[in-house]
Amino acid sequence: MKRTKKLLALLMSGVLAVAMLTGCGSSPSEPDAGTPDNSGTPETETATPNEGASGGYKIALIQQHQTNAFQIAVSDAAAAKAKELGVDLTILSSDQDAATQISQIEQCVSEEYDAILFEPVDPDALGAASAAAAEAGVIVINIISACTDWESYGISALSCGDNVTAGETEMQHIADLLGGKGNIAILTGPSGDSGGLQRMQGYENILANYPDMVQVVEPADCQWDTASAQSTVESWLSAYDLDAIICENDGMAVGAGNAAGANSGIFIAGVDGTPDGFEAINDGRITGTVSQDGGAMAANGIEAAVTLLSGGTLENNTIITTNVWIDASNVADYE
Amino acid sequence: MKEQGNGKSTVQALISKYFIFIIFLAVVIVLTILKPSFIKPSNLVNILKQVSINGILSFGMMFVIVAGGFDMSVGSTIALSGVIAAMLGRGQVPLIVPLLAAMVVGLLVGVVNGIGVSVGDIPPFIMTLGTMTGVRGLALLASHGKPITGIAAEYKAIAASSVLGIPTLAICLIIVAIICSFVLEKTVYGRRVYACGGNVLAARAAGINTNGMKISTFAIAGLLAGLCGFLMTSRVTIGQPTAAESYEMDAIAACVIGGVSMSGGVGKPLGVVIGALLITVIANGLDILGVSPHWQKVVKGLIIVVAVLIDVKGKSKKD
Repeated sequence: MKRTKKLLALLMSGVLAVAMLTGCGSSPSEPDAGTPDNSGTPETETATPNEGASGGYKIALIQQHQTNAFQIAVSDAAAAKAKELGVDLTILSSDQDAATQISQIEQCVSEEYDAILFEPVDPDALGAASAAAAEAGVIVINIISACTDWESYGISALSCGDNVTAGETEMQHIADLLGGKGNIAILTGPSGDSGGLQRMQGYENILANYPDMVQVVEPADCQWDTASAQSTVESWLSAYDLDAIICENDGMAVGAGNAAGANSGIFIAGVDGTPDGFEAINDGRITGTVSQDGGAMAANGIEAAVTLLSGGTLENNTIITTNVWIDASNVADYE
Repeated sequence: MKEQGNGKSTVQALISKYFIFIIFLAVVIVLTILKPSFIKPSNLVNILKQVSINGILSFGMMFVIVAGGFDMSVGSTIALSGVIAAMLGRGQVPLIVPLLAAMVVGLLVGVVNGIGVSVGDIPPFIMTLGTMTGVRGLALLASHGKPITGIAAEYKAIAASSVLGIPTLAICLIIVAIICSFVLEKTVYGRRVYACGGNVLAARAAGINTNGMKISTFAIAGLLAGLCGFLMTSRVTIGQPTAAESYEMDAIAACVIGGVSMSGGVGKPLGVVIGALLITVIANGLDILGVSPHWQKVVKGLIIVVAVLIDVKGKSKKD
């Protein structure tokens, strides 16, 4: 009896494993980048070097996570750039965990990667691991966001957007739409997230010029989450008379837009420029978004790595990707 | 003396029985005083919308917990079934297809949980921890890690619509609540669910197929999670693989606050409704007051602990 139970348990895990494999197998042409559980040993990407480029560099890209459209754009653009340059690229995901990211950096060093690109899960937790990698002769590059004092940890370059400018662009457009006067509310990402804090800094820079734009309620931390933003804004709208809702990402802007309804007269803006945001711009639920071209940040990072590996120097070791305001008038160009 | 003692324990029993209703009313009154717009009809409609998904999920969870189990995987199941519903809900097929697909996906996850727990003898926490992780991975794989956009207008309209002023989401919850209450309280099957959770050996000795009962309760939880996934996609208008993170915790909290005993065999459907409502009302009220969501977590945590404390004290008095 006990044995049959054990057998059944084994069988069950087998069924689950098969279910997962078939999930993977549904699109053999796609790189394995979407696999969420590849936090262990790095596996080589399908972006194989071009023919003849046998001396292709071995580069690792460690993403914060791979669970939204922005991050998937980063994976896709990096894989495309690697193919173009004949680089042997491995993509890993840290699943938002700093300890995992540190282990991955250590592992990439011991497996003799030529360069490591990563988006720090935490601005302060990855310094020592970066320094150790740089010491071992690996080119280390930050993408999307930077470690605090990154240059002092041997990090060679930073390829990022400017979150402060993104915040400023977003708030400036709302200020213009409101004529500098009105009741506003802000939805933020998780407290302590450096990107979110910088966007908030951008908001504050602009709000300082507009004393008549009043925050009638404290900024709410909605964890980048659409459903959570939607509930919060529904509740707000029954208690406050809002003219604009400024959100630190598109996911939350979509939630706010769902709560307010299409063409509500409330200006709602996000940051990212992801497909869910574009869809909401198209049907009038949100006003606009500031694109953060994560793909370009990753591609520029890989270019910088290749330049440094082949003995070149960078004109500037901070490579900024510009951000663009996207609304109903130009959304079609970005979809 | 003896009678007096009995009288006292009756009062105590009454308080512990209706404790959660009293807390609920107190919270509503305090919020109304602090912010009169809390009680506005438009906000009551908000509360109904906001309670629905967790409420439906909580009823599934209730079946599992009353039968002596535990399910960590329902949040991930919402994400997977929601993503699949979104992929099928772009207008290419009638809406009944994504609805059924979402519920079938949920049902399958539930059956796997149930078989693992009953036949495989894996502790429910471990089994559903495994499916929680694995199913979340499947949701990310199915969607390639990004939200599914482009779902049909009529699908989006489900969660946004209402009948006679009552949001469709809330009508779904009411239907689920009525069916679940009827099944648990008026049918032989329901009595067996309580029997399994109360004393599984006695239930087995009485000729109840306890393995079958366990599988069926996990299947119900999965089925309802699948329904929640379908509704979630309609509500947020996209299919998100990261949706419903830690929703299982809110569902468990609603059960516990509502007086469902974690050791199984005890719990009233009405309590679960109040438990789910209380969680929603606190979140809604604190949002309206402009209080940080971080405080919402503190308040929710306190209420869970106090609810269980009262539950435990009430029980030890009875012994």
